[in-house]
Amino acid sequence: MSPPLLSVEHLHVVYDGTISALSDVSLTVDEGQVVAVLGSNGAGKTSLLRAISRALDSYGGAVTGGSVRFDGVDLAGLDTAAVVRRGLVQVPEGRRIFRDLSVEDNLRAGGYTVRDAKARAEARDRVFDLFPILAERREQPGGLLSGGQQQMLAMGRALMASPRLLLLDEPSLGLAPLLVDQIGEIVTEINRQGTAVLLIEQNAVMGLRVADAASVLEVGRVTAAGTAAELSASDEVQERYLGVAVPVVTTDPVVVDEPEIPTAQPPQQLRVEGLTVRFGGIAALSDVSFTVEPGTVHALIGPNGAGKSTLVNVLGGAYRATEGTVHYGDEELTALSAHRVAGLGVARTFQNISLALEDTVEDNLLVGRHRLMRGGVVSGAWKTPRVRREEREHRETVAGIAELLGIGHLLRTPVHTLAYGDRKRVEMGRALAARPSLLLLDEPVAGMTHGESQDMAETIRQVRRDLGLSIVLVEHDMPFVMGLAEQVTVLDFGKKIAEGTPAEVQRDPEVVRAYLGASAA
Amino acid sequence: MSYFLEQVLNGLSYGLVLSLIAAGFAIVFTSTGVLNFAHGSIVLFGAYLVAVLHPTIGFWPALLVAMAGCALVGVAINALLVRHLADKNAGTAAILMLGVDIVLLTELTRRIGNKVLTLGAPWGASVVRFGDVSLPTGRVVAAGLTVVAFAALWYLFSRTDLGVGMRAAAADGPTASLMGIRLSRTAATGWALAGVLAAVAGVFLTSFPAPGVAPTVALSAFAAIPAWVLGGFDSVPGAVVGGLIIGLTSALVTGYESDLAGVVGTGFGEVAPYVVMIVVLLVRPSGLLGSKEAVRV
Repeated sequence: MSPPLLSVEHLHVVYDGTISALSDVSLTVDEGQVVAVLGSNGAGKTSLLRAISRALDSYGGAVTGGSVRFDGVDLAGLDTAAVVRRGLVQVPEGRRIFRDLSVEDNLRAGGYTVRDAKARAEARDRVFDLFPILAERREQPGGLLSGGQQQMLAMGRALMASPRLLLLDEPSLGLAPLLVDQIGEIVTEINRQGTAVLLIEQNAVMGLRVADAASVLEVGRVTAAGTAAELSASDEVQERYLGVAVPVVTTDPVVVDEPEIPTAQPPQQLRVEGLTVRFGGIAALSDVSFTVEPGTVHALIGPNGAGKSTLVNVLGGAYRATEGTVHYGDEELTALSAHRVAGLGVARTFQNISLALEDTVEDNLLVGRHRLMRGGVVSGAWKTPRVRREEREHRETVAGIAELLGIGHLLRTPVHTLAYGDRKRVEMGRALAARPSLLLLDEPVAGMTHGESQDMAETIRQVRRDLGLSIVLVEHDMPFVMGLAEQVTVLDFGKKIAEGTPAEVQRDPEVVRAYLGASAA
Repeated sequence: MSYFLEQVLNGLSYGLVLSLIAAGFAIVFTSTGVLNFAHGSIVLFGAYLVAVLHPTIGFWPALLVAMAGCALVGVAINALLVRHLADKNAGTAAILMLGVDIVLLTELTRRIGNKVLTLGAPWGASVVRFGDVSLPTGRVVAAGLTVVAFAALWYLFSRTDLGVGMRAAAADGPTASLMGIRLSRTAATGWALAGVLAAVAGVFLTSFPAPGVAPTVALSAFAAIPAWVLGGFDSVPGAVVGGLIIGLTSALVTGYESDLAGVVGTGFGEVAPYVVMIVVLLVRPSGLLGSKEAVRV
């Protein structure tokens, strides 16, 4: 038997010298094979591809153990350009096409390493054959293409180098089910023409359909591997990734009698009406409406790219609405800037944790108190008694919040030494420190293990119980949301496709289709 | 009327020289993200090389050597200093370049002393007449050469692999390297191009009607900064448009200084480019043709 085309052996990857992204990952791709790597956000899938492409450097990562061999040659010591010249080309996550360059120039950049004009012309004809739409729109800037066309352009761009192995990072990300099917067919066709493919996917249905073999990656480790048929049949994969038999935990209706640490103002009703947000020509949200009743947990779910983060950014005042309004109580949020929105008692967390890493947990939490601090620069500089008393009170409040979130013992610890899960809690703590009446949580369990997200769910329940506020929870992890929210709004492709209680939403055929692909419905 | 026309032509030809310098700023910025505050010294270095070499090898060969010399200085600054910055942010690099500028300028000032070197340009102090409008020959040659230079740049960026690679690298470096484009190579090319443009600009900035090569030329090269900024930090066409606008503005304001003296006093020609820059930035914060910065939160 000939050696595999790609073999990854016992690979360890670490970011910033401390944060482990991959541990002991091994897999192989044979000539002519399609291999899928499945896993949720933060599982280390993209790190794996970066390690193979020798592109970790630019992201502050490094391979600390194990090896990657391509065609028998150890890739350690080569740079990305050399790896590409050996016939190993990556299509990065999020397509990353050159938006200002024409379709033609995008392809040309892809064929940069091909010196032979004839070989290049052939490659281009092949790409135009696979993706006729690219030939039609060759003069247009890449940024004007639709999401699906951009994915095709990204794939075509990589194929210009006539790779022996194509690495695809989440090609179905944010695409409508129909397009996902089409991309799947294209992957099969590319493979039929003789190119091996390593496919990274969150969409397990699509990944398992086109792949010969697959590995499941979870928090940096391979937890299952086998042929696509074996994995499709395994209970664990079915439960975790195919959404089969997700248990619905009904939450008790919340009765908030006397919240322990009451919010500054009681929560109000949040009304989103006809909200549309466009970036350039692309509509990230179109005509979305829903209402969050005071004191409830309302979940916004949807696959990647559905417009969830855009919505949070509009609610928090970071993005402007193109059309439509958002009201919180009587105030129109869409007319206010971010700091005024915060002043109304709306606080948020960020999907990609955004903390001051060198500072202690306490200092990070105190930042959230900013809008409630009265002392100015002058009185602060003189440390007047009033300022000192105020500071003591702020520290007490912050300590109380830390206690509630289970990070009380970490107050004096610098954030950069904390584990991921604790950082997420600090983020939430900073938002709570502003004593909001409405808390926006942007993917609070992204990248967490099953156990960690269970703990987080408990914390969120506790917060709501003790503080009596409204929570808007943005997630793509369905099971997590099902056990937590009273109302769920499902977004797909910028549109609201369903709304109701968790149980209702879970049965909705539209939702099943959005999550599992057309063929599963 | 002919006086007005003369000022306009003067302004446009001076503006083209500024746009050569501004394009150098923009190319270095897009290919390495560095605000190259040493660019003025490189312009002076180019003019100095021509002034020193022309008696022995003649003007045109001296210009070629200067172009190569300035390209080499740029490539060396990038390879020896910029690439090895431990902290790769624009601020650190800008401070570094200020340091490089001081070193280069000090050395050139030491060599030039308080002399004003002659350039030995074949057109000397001659003047071309179009009807009753007259223009220094040097400015006419400058306009011609600049147009040729920008045509060559356009060809490079839109028709050659290297140029497409450079644009791809400027748009998204990490992704471009996934196409096999070596970022170190596109960066070196960018610095070299900026150096070549600087040498050409240096020659025209110091030939008639300017007195000759003196250390103050490094400062007058900074007149291109408003042109660069108002065109958009990262756009070569923007640099051309910016250069023309700034050239016209300063020529007209200086040309009609006596008429304007009652309103803004004398010497407003030096200030006017910055006023134009500020007004443009108030309306278009990313410059006339610059790309908008999008921040995802």
